[in-house]
Amino acid sequence: MSLHQLVIDAAARRPDALAASGPAGSLTYGELDAAADAIAATLGRQGVRRGDRVVVWAAKSPETVAAMQAVLRLGAAYVPVDGGSPVARVAAIARDCAARVVVTDRARIPRISGELGPDVRCEELDAPRDPAPAVHVATAPDDLAYILYTSGSTGAPKGVCLTHENARAFVDWAHDLLMPGEDDRFANHAPFAFDLSVLDLYVAFRAGASVHLIPPELSFAPARLVEFLHAERISIWYSVPSALAVMMRYGGLLDRPAPQTLHTVLFAGEPFPIAGLRDLAGWTGARMMNLYGPTETNVCTFHEVTKVDLERDRPVPIGIAASGDRVWALRDGGGIAASGEVGELVVDGPTVMPGYWGHPPQRGPYHTGDLVRVLPDGAFDYLGRRDQMVKIRGHRVELGEVEAILENHVDVAEAAAVAVGEGADTRLVAFVAPRSGRDLGVLAVRRHLVAHLPRYMVADEVRIVSPLPRNGNGKIDRLALKACADGVERTVHEPGS
Amino acid sequence: MPLEEVTPRIRTFISESFLDGDPGGELTESTPLLEWEVLNSMNSALLLNFLREELRVDVPLSSITAANFRDIAAISKLVSSLMTVPAEGV
Repeated sequence: MSLHQLVIDAAARRPDALAASGPAGSLTYGELDAAADAIAATLGRQGVRRGDRVVVWAAKSPETVAAMQAVLRLGAAYVPVDGGSPVARVAAIARDCAARVVVTDRARIPRISGELGPDVRCEELDAPRDPAPAVHVATAPDDLAYILYTSGSTGAPKGVCLTHENARAFVDWAHDLLMPGEDDRFANHAPFAFDLSVLDLYVAFRAGASVHLIPPELSFAPARLVEFLHAERISIWYSVPSALAVMMRYGGLLDRPAPQTLHTVLFAGEPFPIAGLRDLAGWTGARMMNLYGPTETNVCTFHEVTKVDLERDRPVPIGIAASGDRVWALRDGGGIAASGEVGELVVDGPTVMPGYWGHPPQRGPYHTGDLVRVLPDGAFDYLGRRDQMVKIRGHRVELGEVEAILENHVDVAEAAAVAVGEGADTRLVAFVAPRSGRDLGVLAVRRHLVAHLPRYMVADEVRIVSPLPRNGNGKIDRLALKACADGVERTVHEPGS
Repeated sequence: MPLEEVTPRIRTFISESFLDGDPGGELTESTPLLEWEVLNSMNSALLLNFLREELRVDVPLSSITAANFRDIAAISKLVSSLMTVPAEGV
């Protein structure tokens, strides 16, 4: 069954119930259904057909959700891009996936329209629209539902393609696990371009429950995020552990009693440091679960936190297979890892993507690049990455992509990015060496990063160093840079010094 | 504390804490701190802590908005206005 059928069914069942609520308004299921049809009619007139791609670049709002529904109803795939992403990145994504239309707020149209090819149209998200008859284009399970762009190691973002079948396998599994009721109130913390949002939106819709969109501008103010949790009477919370850690540390989360409504806390994207999880468990009696899975597979393992887990001295396991997938650990020399052994986690099953947009199809099991240890009960402990990819507040970041953008700056001779710290304290630090004779300031570099990268990839700290330190092989000495960024050694030694 | 004293103290704090001392001297009162991700969740918490500890100003939750924290000028104006209300212990 298709992903968009969930809203159609909920609208038939409970048209007057709240579907989605945002800072500037809310939509009932009936209104969401009607808005999706009205936008679909406009997009249909713009030429959107089954199999096309439509970029949705807008701030989080119920209308943005309606636009995503509209694209699905036409049999096309939506490509969500965070409202805070720079024009250059939106244009690059629209080009890469050969989008037919970019749906965006009126204020953004003049900024993007000149950057798109002549065949790409812009559609105003907030335009007044007449009611339109229901649009239902038949879709097949292997039709693409959405494409999520993630950081790519080659310096360009890459589009992870997910089908209706991929999405429904996960959504139906998560629904059966959580068994939400119609009165449940889901918080949506993640941007729509981040796969965590798929649970918030579609599991809520499957249950006929409501989803409460957290505006991104609250992310700089942890105390207001805590206020949101109470004021919106959230019952199911899902976020990266970093968000909860920041709310505990800087937002005063633990200073007030947990809201009575909160019964489930889900987290994913990175290990939750055990001390923080203990604090959270001491604050709320809510059921807590660790969900694991790269964007390419959605959630493929899960683990429900127990009292015994909280007594361990390391993060809780990522658990056992989820969403109907099969998972196993592959030893370095080949062969399936046994209890106590370490291997790379491999996933096969209904949630595994058909491939990256514009790349050869993904055939067979997906190799995650994540190292795990097999536990005696068959569950897995997450150990780390095989490659250079790092996680910053749950978002994957290829350091090579950040470095490529830094080196595009006209005044930059060379650059390196390193990640330091652990868990919620992981920071991305960029070291930049200016071209000789050029003045280069920290803010100029920061402005350049913001103009080309999504927010989560912008370095937390920028340091100007000239030249970058080198090791004996002449390569950039990343260990020295990490030590410097970590504050172990504040001065980077220059070669020969 | 008058605005002309508040502004340089906030500027110095931001420059030294988040911009490696701003060696290029680029930070101005209108540098967009939120847009350029200078004030993320951790840094904004550190700034609020600085305002509380050093300037004796407790910013109420309702005033922690993007408009009030977009740049040094906006933050200074907010802090000055909050200072006109006598805080406890001052």
